[in-house]
Amino acid sequence: MDENNLIKMELTVNGEAVSMIVKGGRRLLDFLRDDLHLTGTKEGCGEGECGSCTVHLDGQSVLACLTPMERAIGCSVLTIEGVGSPTNLHPVQAALLDEGGVQCGMCTPGMVMSALDLLERNPDPTIEEIIEGISGNLCRCTGYKKIIYGIQQAAQELQAASPAGTVKESVE
Amino acid sequence: MSTIGKSVARVDALGKVTGESRYSGDFDLPNQAYMKILFANRPHAIIKRIFTEQAEALPGVLAVFTAKDVPQNEYGLSMPDQPVLCGLGSAKPFADRVRWIGDQIALVVAETEEIAAKARDLIRVDYEDLPVLTDPLEARDNHEVLLHPDRGSNIFCHYRIRKGDVESAFAEADVIIEGEYRTPVQEHAYLQPEAGLGYIDEAGRVTVNVAGQWTHKDQEQIAHALGLPLDQVRVIYPAIGGAFGGREDMSIQIVLALAVWRLSQRGINRPVKIIWSREESILGHHKRHPYWILTRWGAKKDGKLVAAEVELVADSGGYAYTSTKVLGNATLMCTGPYDIPNVKVDAYAVYTNNMVTGAFRGFGGPQGAFAAETQMNRLAEALQMDPVEIRLKNVLREGDLLSVGTPLPKGVSMPEVIEQCAVKAGWEVLSNDRSQARAIKRSRKDAPENDRGSNLKCGMGFAAAFKNVGFSFGAPEQCWATAEIRGGAEIEEVVISHAAAEVGQGVHTVIGQAAAEAAGVTLSRVRLVTSDTTVTGDSGSVSASRMTFMAGNAVKGAVEAALGKWYAEERPAIAYYQYRAPRTTPLDPQTGKSEPNFAYGYVAEAVRVEVDTETGHIRLVDVITADDVGKAINPQQVIGQIQGAVVQAMGYTLMENFIQQDGFLQTGRFSTYLIPTVLDVPGQIDPYVLEYPDPVGPWGARGMGEMPFLPFAPAVVAAVHDATGIWFNEFPLTPERVLRGLGKLS
Amino acid sequence: MTIWKNYFLAETVQEALELLAQSEGDACPIAGGTDLLLDLQQGRHPPLDTLVDLSQIPEMRQLEIRGGKLFIGAALPLNRLVESPLAQQHAPTLMDAARLIGGPQVRNTATLGGNVCHALPAADGTIALLSLNATALVARLEQRCEIPLGELFRGPGKSALDPRREILVGFNLPLREAGQASAFRRVMRPQGVAIAILNLAVWLQRAATRIADIRIAIGPAGPTPLRAVQTEAALRSQPYQPTLPPQALEALLSESRFRTSPHRATEAYRRAMAGVLLQETLEVAWQRTLDVENQDD
Repeated sequence: MDENNLIKMELTVNGEAVSMIVKGGRRLLDFLRDDLHLTGTKEGCGEGECGSCTVHLDGQSVLACLTPMERAIGCSVLTIEGVGSPTNLHPVQAALLDEGGVQCGMCTPGMVMSALDLLERNPDPTIEEIIEGISGNLCRCTGYKKIIYGIQQAAQELQAASPAGTVKESVE
Repeated sequence: MSTIGKSVARVDALGKVTGESRYSGDFDLPNQAYMKILFANRPHAIIKRIFTEQAEALPGVLAVFTAKDVPQNEYGLSMPDQPVLCGLGSAKPFADRVRWIGDQIALVVAETEEIAAKARDLIRVDYEDLPVLTDPLEARDNHEVLLHPDRGSNIFCHYRIRKGDVESAFAEADVIIEGEYRTPVQEHAYLQPEAGLGYIDEAGRVTVNVAGQWTHKDQEQIAHALGLPLDQVRVIYPAIGGAFGGREDMSIQIVLALAVWRLSQRGINRPVKIIWSREESILGHHKRHPYWILTRWGAKKDGKLVAAEVELVADSGGYAYTSTKVLGNATLMCTGPYDIPNVKVDAYAVYTNNMVTGAFRGFGGPQGAFAAETQMNRLAEALQMDPVEIRLKNVLREGDLLSVGTPLPKGVSMPEVIEQCAVKAGWEVLSNDRSQARAIKRSRKDAPENDRGSNLKCGMGFAAAFKNVGFSFGAPEQCWATAEIRGGAEIEEVVISHAAAEVGQGVHTVIGQAAAEAAGVTLSRVRLVTSDTTVTGDSGSVSASRMTFMAGNAVKGAVEAALGKWYAEERPAIAYYQYRAPRTTPLDPQTGKSEPNFAYGYVAEAVRVEVDTETGHIRLVDVITADDVGKAINPQQVIGQIQGAVVQAMGYTLMENFIQQDGFLQTGRFSTYLIPTVLDVPGQIDPYVLEYPDPVGPWGARGMGEMPFLPFAPAVVAAVHDATGIWFNEFPLTPERVLRGLGKLS
Repeated sequence: MTIWKNYFLAETVQEALELLAQSEGDACPIAGGTDLLLDLQQGRHPPLDTLVDLSQIPEMRQLEIRGGKLFIGAALPLNRLVESPLAQQHAPTLMDAARLIGGPQVRNTATLGGNVCHALPAADGTIALLSLNATALVARLEQRCEIPLGELFRGPGKSALDPRREILVGFNLPLREAGQASAFRRVMRPQGVAIAILNLAVWLQRAATRIADIRIAIGPAGPTPLRAVQTEAALRSQPYQPTLPPQALEALLSESRFRTSPHRATEAYRRAMAGVLLQETLEVAWQRTLDVENQDD
């Protein structure tokens, strides 16, 4: 650590090794958006209420606005940019798109990340469990109904495709 | 092959689900600088002096701008009563006052956001505090403390309706219901806080990449403040994270352009980025007007309305914003969609030092509807009439006159919408007589007796509303579209250039569908160029539920004109088309007589609630909403808008408790201002999309983004009354307010 | 914006204590960080020189029976707590509370240790732990000690622990015995990090139809989390009644000091809700003593 508070960020992001010297003492959200230019993770409130900054840290959904960036050193981070691709969407992405679960889109990356976390732990959730699974994500546009339905559709599709399989297989 | 009426996937959804879509805070340019704003944080004061030396001296600071740096230090959508920056040294009279905590004092531009924030905190302002006015009724009559001393009064707008003779009519009435209502402030809480990137573009234009609702109005306001010709200013909108009216007014657009432009004048040609925190967003942009409404309605025994008298006072905060237009709407809608022969309305917009107020989904409609629908429900109770039956007895039908003395435009479906909603909610039509007044009653089996022992009480409430499509009352209304048809023998591509802001409501998809339909091609052959003042014509704002209507007609016209050229062998075939909506007229200053709108949407809602009389908690069991959208161009999007509006209205009615004290904000974060989470959503939302075509709308479409919001609060209040016997005249109905109303709190 | 200068991920409690002691400027331990980071960013905590991250220290993430007690590590994420059969068996009140904290993302990170050290009078985990008679295992460089939980609070947001010198390693809870059960309820459903209006935890020991022993914790009912001892006395040894006995309600309202918060709730509302909440929580706990009887232990 020196005067400029430079640190070495060595971690895996979306499956790729990252090694950078950057200023420390900031949130994981700032590292992702400002240093890695991964702007898919959003800042909606900066205080852990809206969930639009949800990413996966070592396989668990966390709020990047409340995570020290240094905690991610040596870990694996998954952001929305690492989920599916435009030509090969993850079923959760495809379902939100197909079912009208996207309006302004600001909550969408966070919703996808929370849905992935939910389906990983619970591949066959009830509606109540889906609701609980996204209870940490605010949406101001859709009224949530189509998001719930989309996640339900995605779960069914994933179950049908590989009943014993895990979500990770579809994630790039 | 028709695309109209198909639930095609949104044209912008792919980018949004992959995280590739970029919002105005997601852009970076090389060598960019960062800007922070010093807010007044003081509700009413005169600025005596601003000390910026320490801030300017901080290493890494590029510039500090204050009022003296603004060539024309004023802006405002209805009147230019607001300084861009409050302070000394500009020619704008009384610009040295702050009238609201969110007034902007200084801009700091620095190498990093952190340095800009540090420098901002080093700026010292000497204020002379002035008396703070927080009660609009008091401010209305206060002639000593004038928020705008160049005006003689804190009232800056007064609308009147005088139709018939209310006093005589009241004398003949069998029952008179008086009500005093207060509607609350509401925060838009769109998920994307304000953000922008400003720069000088390759053609030397002062350019801002921001979120907004009307590119050309932003451009006009920027150009005016900077004293630049319009074509020297450029406004671009990328993806926008929600608006609901909250981006209609200025927040960062002008100051961002100012900073970029002033820096370039000093030889510093660098982009400038600004992102507001959630706290800055809640502080810095306008809110929904709280309204005080005093009203008296009279009716005959048989339920026929004879008179309505209404006094409305809108708390407009420190500046006008669009208060005059909101007031116009409220003036029209405060007597509901009913045929009332005698009407007297006095509506006032008043300056106070509270949070500034302006456009928010519904735009005066929710406030007016709350009063009107609650009055109707209370009249029904007093007359022991069914609330749907009394409405059908009085509802405006084709040819009937509004309170402003003119008929609704053709295509009035209010009676049908009311009836269909009621039937879906369990009402039975008792007679097949197709004459005017239908006998209709809520089915006995659907109204279970509340178990006396249980603290859970159920109830059902009903309300209806009509919502204008378009700017209203003579405001200029137009929308430009450009269509370019390309190909050889066959049409290969249709390129539509359109300025309409896609704020999440789905208008870009609607534009695509309209183009595909008009050109007779599939949606995949349509490409959009959007929201850039250099290449898209003025579309008007995305507000007033107008854009599907206006853009749909504009695109239709442009494509049809381009097709004409196409068949005349022009390659490519390009047409510029301006759609102008039918004329509307302003309120007569004495009588209010006017042709206020060219189109309306009609909506009715029935809400079932369960009230826990021990905790005051209200559970929304079921929401039935019938919406006449004219034509659902994209049914899936229409339903998404209905669901979104209902949940936002639910927040307004039950839980969004905006608190300000002496002009200071108490609920400035998402942890203190609670908006609905997925856990709060009503068990059932049943949207019934009705399609009674509008004669002028594109393929019969009306506009519908706001209307499901309007009847919700009065329907819930009626349901709570049905459950508990208590009429609430104020909301949000937080558990505490409910318990207080039930008499359970000391 | 930088919020701290130096960050260390500690591997052991000893290492963490040394780092805290050696730091030149202000230093603080962080577990999940959902409270601390907010306090730092929103100006409720002075800026920090050093952050010592305890979240990966193995001994602080244990959950096991040890020496006849249930040990819960202070840095165990709440989601692990919620999934734990041991916690379900011995401390259902803690499970009730943990499930209500934030959303899934917050529960993946937030910890009981952070909850307790934040020292808010209505912190959900704290209220639950207090009713369970939990003790806190506190480590200093030279020694470790065990302190009754109630002694950790000085005032709203003021922990008795010195962040430069002391680390809360974990909690010891008595194991549940036959006839015992606990429950937690609150007024306000979960929303992110927003705090509750009122929360309440009940632990009780049933003997036939009587409440043989009872502990009640409630907040916010004063500057620190409150053990409602007078209310306990009014209920102890009495037959259980589904409707709260008037003397118990009177005791609760007398020993609780409810306040009006600027945008949360008024004192009057809290007073009105306290009895309702106690009655409900008591009922759930009582029912659990009956259910447990029918289960295999």
